[in-house]
Amino acid sequence: MLVKAILLGLVGVLGNLDSRFLGRTNLEQPLVMGAFVGLVLGDLTKGLIVGASLELVFMGMANIGAAAPPDLVLGSVIATSFAILSHTNAQTALTIALPVAILGQMIGIVLRMFMSTFNRWAAADIDAGKFAKARRLHILWGLLLNVSMYFILIFLSIYFGTGVVKVVVKAIPTWLTNALTLASKILPAFGFALLMQTMLTKKTVVYLLIGFFITAYGNLSVIAVAIFAVLLVLVLNEILPKKNVATTTEQNDDDLEEL
Amino acid sequence: MQTWTVPTLNKRQSRKRYWSFFWRSYAIQASWNYEGQMNLGFLYGIAPVIDRIYGDGTPASLEAKKDAYRRHLAFYNCTPQTSSFVLGVASSMEEEYARNPTSFDPNSINAVKSSLMGPLSGVGDSFFQGTIKVLAFGLGVNFARKGSILGPILAVLISFVPAFLVTYYGGKLGYTAGNKFLTKLTKAGIMDRAMYLVTIVGLMVIGSMIASMIGITTPIHMGKAFSLQKTLDTIFPQMIPLAFTFVMYWLLQKKVTTGWILVICIVSGLVLSPLGIFK
Repeated sequence: MLVKAILLGLVGVLGNLDSRFLGRTNLEQPLVMGAFVGLVLGDLTKGLIVGASLELVFMGMANIGAAAPPDLVLGSVIATSFAILSHTNAQTALTIALPVAILGQMIGIVLRMFMSTFNRWAAADIDAGKFAKARRLHILWGLLLNVSMYFILIFLSIYFGTGVVKVVVKAIPTWLTNALTLASKILPAFGFALLMQTMLTKKTVVYLLIGFFITAYGNLSVIAVAIFAVLLVLVLNEILPKKNVATTTEQNDDDLEEL
Repeated sequence: MQTWTVPTLNKRQSRKRYWSFFWRSYAIQASWNYEGQMNLGFLYGIAPVIDRIYGDGTPASLEAKKDAYRRHLAFYNCTPQTSSFVLGVASSMEEEYARNPTSFDPNSINAVKSSLMGPLSGVGDSFFQGTIKVLAFGLGVNFARKGSILGPILAVLISFVPAFLVTYYGGKLGYTAGNKFLTKLTKAGIMDRAMYLVTIVGLMVIGSMIASMIGITTPIHMGKAFSLQKTLDTIFPQMIPLAFTFVMYWLLQKKVTTGWILVICIVSGLVLSPLGIFK
């Protein structure tokens, strides 16, 4: 069981690396994870069949747009493992795996919040001229933290069963979950503020507000706003006093590039 | 201000650079965090370009390199596959800035990144997550149900091929097209104007993202008759996200250190949510 738990943990690591390191080539999908779990547990056919059912279940969840869908990789690796080990079907196995997938989702939120401090550390490293150290925060420590969460959660649930996890999940109060969710919504506002800092002046704040209100009132997407922005800029280019009248055509080329 | 000579890449070096854009776009989410999202990934992606420009080890180049690294700590979020295009464009801008530091405003680099990331995420996500994934796995599930290993293999192949092409050639296109336009703008002497206009696009896109990507609301209500959120929405929707962003901006203007603001963000989440003020 120890060896199997380790190998299944590594399958989870691969699933996580898919989005963190391999540009989301869909290795993390239940169908693929199921096949790997099947290989590890020596029942490829069952792994494929369970993976296929889980794929449909998760596709459905994505379509409903559930607020915080349970973690895809944890859900599919653990559910497929239980389906094979205890000879149940995909749906039953998923209910067993769900507490882990939910716990994983929560730990993930804390992890991504914690990694916001990487920005401070990177800035300090850059100030000190330690460029390689700043890069390692991303490519070494970021990856390592993500990957170990998946490995540990899967290893523990397979080795000790999901009972322990269930107890932990029950012990987490709802107010804490909600509070963490709110904090995770406030942090991007800080990210945007940092971004605005380099660009915003008293004169240009109006453009930020135009973009904001188009989406706030009109519910139009970022793409729509980008198109309007480019068009507006083309108009401004006509109106604004020109220092060099002969060169407007190249100007237009550049703006269209933004599309 | 000191200018830097940035030798153009030969064929082998170009190919190496496009591959670097490719891999580093793929790894862009390794340290995804709520505050900057993929910012460290973007920095990691563009680092080789910066290192090459400011690589001579003089104190001046060291300072310029620090500035360039700091620049790319700014918020960034885009589909990995389309990120290589942004990496390409930003790299060509970094090189142009090094060549003409007087006529080029480095802040416009982040303005361009912001203008591109919103639309490219939209297109990228709906293409890769919406279309390709559904197609690949719809087909894969059918094979796998019959117990055929072809299911997952086909699904991954169908996912991989378009992603590979978009990522690799996107980076190449971004870099070469960026270079071409920037050279034109410099020659025409209208760089300042272009920088200003690009900033406008960037700010409008950021405004739109504030309205669509934060989503903080208030649960305050009195019975069924009065809901504060509904009242706020009738004045203007997404008022709370805008307010939060400007409070953060104000704190930054007040020179509050970013570490403290980070603490404020997390603590206010932990306090305001249980009090039932925001959710």
